[in-house]
Amino acid sequence: MAYPSQNFCKKGLMMTIIKKLLIPLTDYPHMPYWATLEEAIVLLNFAHESGYHTVLVFDEFYKLLGMLDGREILRVINPKFKKLSPDKVSSKWNDIINSANDNQFKKPIKDFISPFNMMVESTDHILKVAYLLLQHNLDIIPVKEAGKVLGVVRMHDIFHKITGSILQSEK
Amino acid sequence: MRRLLNIFRRKVAAPQPVSDDGQMFKERYSYFKKLLSENNAVLEIMADMEEKLSGEYIFDMNYVRTSCNKLVDSVQNIIVNLDKLSKGKYPVLYFAFARINSKIEATLINKIEIPVTDFAIPFESVTKEMVNSVGGKNANLGEIKNRVGLPVPDGFCISAYAFKKFIEYNKLKNKIILNSTDMGDIEGLNKISKEAHNLIMESQIPPDIETGILNAFSELFRKASSKVSEPTASVRSSAIYEDAEFTFAGQYKTALNVTSDKLIEQYKKVIASLFTSRAMFYYKTKGFEEDDMVMAVGVVEMIDARASGIMYSRDPNNAENDSIIINAVWGLGKYAVDGTVSPNIYVVSRDKPGTILEKTTPAQEVMLKCDSRDGAVEVEVPEEKRATSCLTDDQIKFLADYALVLEKHYDRPQDIEWALDENNNFFILQTRPLNILKEQPAKNIQTITKGHKILINKGQVACKGVGAGKVFFVNREEDLEKFPEGAVLVAKHTSTGFVTVMNKTSAIIADVGSPTGHMATLAREYKIPTLLNTVIAMKTLEADKEITVDAINGNIYEGRIDELVEAGKMDNPFKDTAVFRVLRELLNNIAPLNLIHPESEKFSQEYCETFHDITRFAHEVSMKEMFKIVDSPDISKREAVKLEVKIPLEIYIIDLGGGIKSDSKKITPEHILSIPMNALLKGMMAIEWPGPPPINVKGFMSVIASTAMQPHSEKLLWEPSFAIISGEYMNFNIRLGYHIQTIEAYAGDNINDNYARFLFRGGGASVDRRTRRTRLIKQILEMMDFNVKRTGDVLDASITKYDKSTVLKKLGILAHMTAYTKQLDMTLFNDAMVDWYFKEFIKKHYVK
Repeated sequence: MAYPSQNFCKKGLMMTIIKKLLIPLTDYPHMPYWATLEEAIVLLNFAHESGYHTVLVFDEFYKLLGMLDGREILRVINPKFKKLSPDKVSSKWNDIINSANDNQFKKPIKDFISPFNMMVESTDHILKVAYLLLQHNLDIIPVKEAGKVLGVVRMHDIFHKITGSILQSEK
Repeated sequence: MRRLLNIFRRKVAAPQPVSDDGQMFKERYSYFKKLLSENNAVLEIMADMEEKLSGEYIFDMNYVRTSCNKLVDSVQNIIVNLDKLSKGKYPVLYFAFARINSKIEATLINKIEIPVTDFAIPFESVTKEMVNSVGGKNANLGEIKNRVGLPVPDGFCISAYAFKKFIEYNKLKNKIILNSTDMGDIEGLNKISKEAHNLIMESQIPPDIETGILNAFSELFRKASSKVSEPTASVRSSAIYEDAEFTFAGQYKTALNVTSDKLIEQYKKVIASLFTSRAMFYYKTKGFEEDDMVMAVGVVEMIDARASGIMYSRDPNNAENDSIIINAVWGLGKYAVDGTVSPNIYVVSRDKPGTILEKTTPAQEVMLKCDSRDGAVEVEVPEEKRATSCLTDDQIKFLADYALVLEKHYDRPQDIEWALDENNNFFILQTRPLNILKEQPAKNIQTITKGHKILINKGQVACKGVGAGKVFFVNREEDLEKFPEGAVLVAKHTSTGFVTVMNKTSAIIADVGSPTGHMATLAREYKIPTLLNTVIAMKTLEADKEITVDAINGNIYEGRIDELVEAGKMDNPFKDTAVFRVLRELLNNIAPLNLIHPESEKFSQEYCETFHDITRFAHEVSMKEMFKIVDSPDISKREAVKLEVKIPLEIYIIDLGGGIKSDSKKITPEHILSIPMNALLKGMMAIEWPGPPPINVKGFMSVIASTAMQPHSEKLLWEPSFAIISGEYMNFNIRLGYHIQTIEAYAGDNINDNYARFLFRGGGASVDRRTRRTRLIKQILEMMDFNVKRTGDVLDASITKYDKSTVLKKLGILAHMTAYTKQLDMTLFNDAMVDWYFKEFIKKHYVK
């Protein structure tokens, strides 16, 4: 696997492991897979104020199964989004609301989650994680330690960390 | 301590040897059940005793004693059963019990000590401190003679010790049984009274007592032999408690003009009068017991009075009315006190000594005089005396001075009996405390009575107050047997026998009688509104017609005037009796509750000061002890039966008796007989459970590596749940997800037994999320009126004393909540989520 330039290591990122940028699981929205879509929407609405836009989904043993974000939920609410081109989207708000089927809300979120194809270790270097996020076009990535999910790292936190270090090194 | 424990141990059968876990649970449950049952018994007895203090009931010492005995037994049983249930965790309760019990016993044991004395004691050596030797009346006469210096006829006392020896000599104690007598059963009272009277009259006075009495009689008249040809005496009751705080006015016999040959027979008659039905009623309703019924007798030189009567050193109906009241009749005083004739009444000022404020001198046609041989005889009052005053103004003033002297000596108002001999010498025959009505009824009642028809507007108030009821005429003593509850007693003459219906009557009216008579004294003691001297009541009133007796203004109205009755309401008369005081004192060691809040530091065995405290404490900790039994390390599937039920729980049941139908190793909900378990299961089966079904050990082991945030909590996931049940009881330890939850309930027909308790702890999520879940559960429980204590993620909630159906309904909601909150901690990202879930729960699952 190719790594980004080692130059960055000299600009303050040399000792940075990903654990330092971690949002602990205790602070991050998460749910069991049997929670309903409605509960997930409620959770995401409350979590939005804290800057979180994704729900992690676990099984009863706290084994991570996947994630659910606003994008996926909107697709569930109005499946037409997937097929329509921008100029054909209804401009009427009620069309959207009415199309949200009650039965969909009561469905467990396990039906809608996206699995994580990869996780990183808590001791992985920040640049390695940045690389993986870019490679796989991810916004967040779970971080584990000793087999347990410790939390997640967000793309924009890594962005700020890296670009912040660059700006500081140029002064 | 060992002795104390041994006493207690004798109270319950030794437990059977524990053969297995199920047997152990059954035993503990049986202790718990017994404790609950005794707890109820204690609460009921206490409530009954407290209700008696309301004053609306008549009761006697037998009731008090029986209630206390039951209470002591039940509290002992509570302690013993708790001891077994908790395996000896609360030894201090034994000491608390012993301490309280000794106080109760001290209150109950208050027997009279009868001193050993001579059988006959001359008045010259008697003072008021000698009540237990000579009785109240004699003690007062001795006091007046020897310490006050007022004239008292010569005489001697036949001592209480003589009475005691007489009872022992004839073995009467075991023959006269009064304890079980019902005071409301006048017919029964009369029967017992007659039997007791006959027993005494058939008994023999021990020879040494007889000799002592006759010698004293001879000695008395040896001194007086110059005065009279054939000496005679009055033989008068002087019971131990007579003429003290309780007057016993007119309850006992007095024999007049008794010669020596009839002295012994009359002595027995006076003793027998202890057991007249009216005297027994008085004794019992005033709180005395059989052992208190001790009769000394006074033998007093007979004064063949020219005039005699009663004198009150104050107006008993109006303490603020500063006057002395004297009544007087021609002849012997019996007619002044029994209401046979209407006496002269003189009201003398206390403020301005010697000022006669009022004189009433109704004509007196007959009088009682000493017969020439023995006894007394009614004779006509000589024509010239009939309408004249019995006393001159000077005599009235002289006598009034005696009243002030006696009141000063005794330091309280006095009710005095006096006689004037043919030589115009006054004698004091008796003095006793005068009952003054403390609280006067409302005076502004005239306005209430506008528009109501007055039937009679004359009469003298003997006891202030207002009463209403149907007219019931009493012509003979036997009529009292049929006296209806709440009626107004109407009679021609007053009678001390009326006392036997004073617990039933609303008011008393008599056409003849005096406010200073015996019956009036009793009416004031029992606070019965009483109008006397109404003259025309027997003629004017109609049987069974409702009337209102205004014994404040002296009017009798047609019909019932509720406002007037309310305005003239009296304090309950029985509240001043000895039995009330005893009960009140006992309840001080029984009823107050000092252990109120179980979470308080002082909610401990060391702080139990009353039986109520012990009961409350034992009930609380017994529930805790039972609550813990499913946590017992001894519990295993071995003794349990698996319940096949379509909910994601693996449930094993241990039946303590009456909880399940079948002996099979697998049962379904249809086999469950336990009332609370059924309610809970029904609720659990009615809701859709979130999450997966319970997994088996194999499944668990395959995923254990990826497990939860809380170390050591994983094992809970695969542990089965145990329920220990009986017909009315359930203790269900639910292993659900990563938390432990116990629901315990008792749902029976007695509301005092019923309770539900809910304990919750643990969870798989981080501590802040677990805490949020307990907050959510707390909100739900509080909405259900549970008393909830929460510490972090541990929650303890309970309700007690709800009726069965309410407990079952709450169990149904608890079942829904159990499913609803299963592993919900994972989701509770912030407090806003808690609030949202709470509202959702109410919307979907809460039915008021």
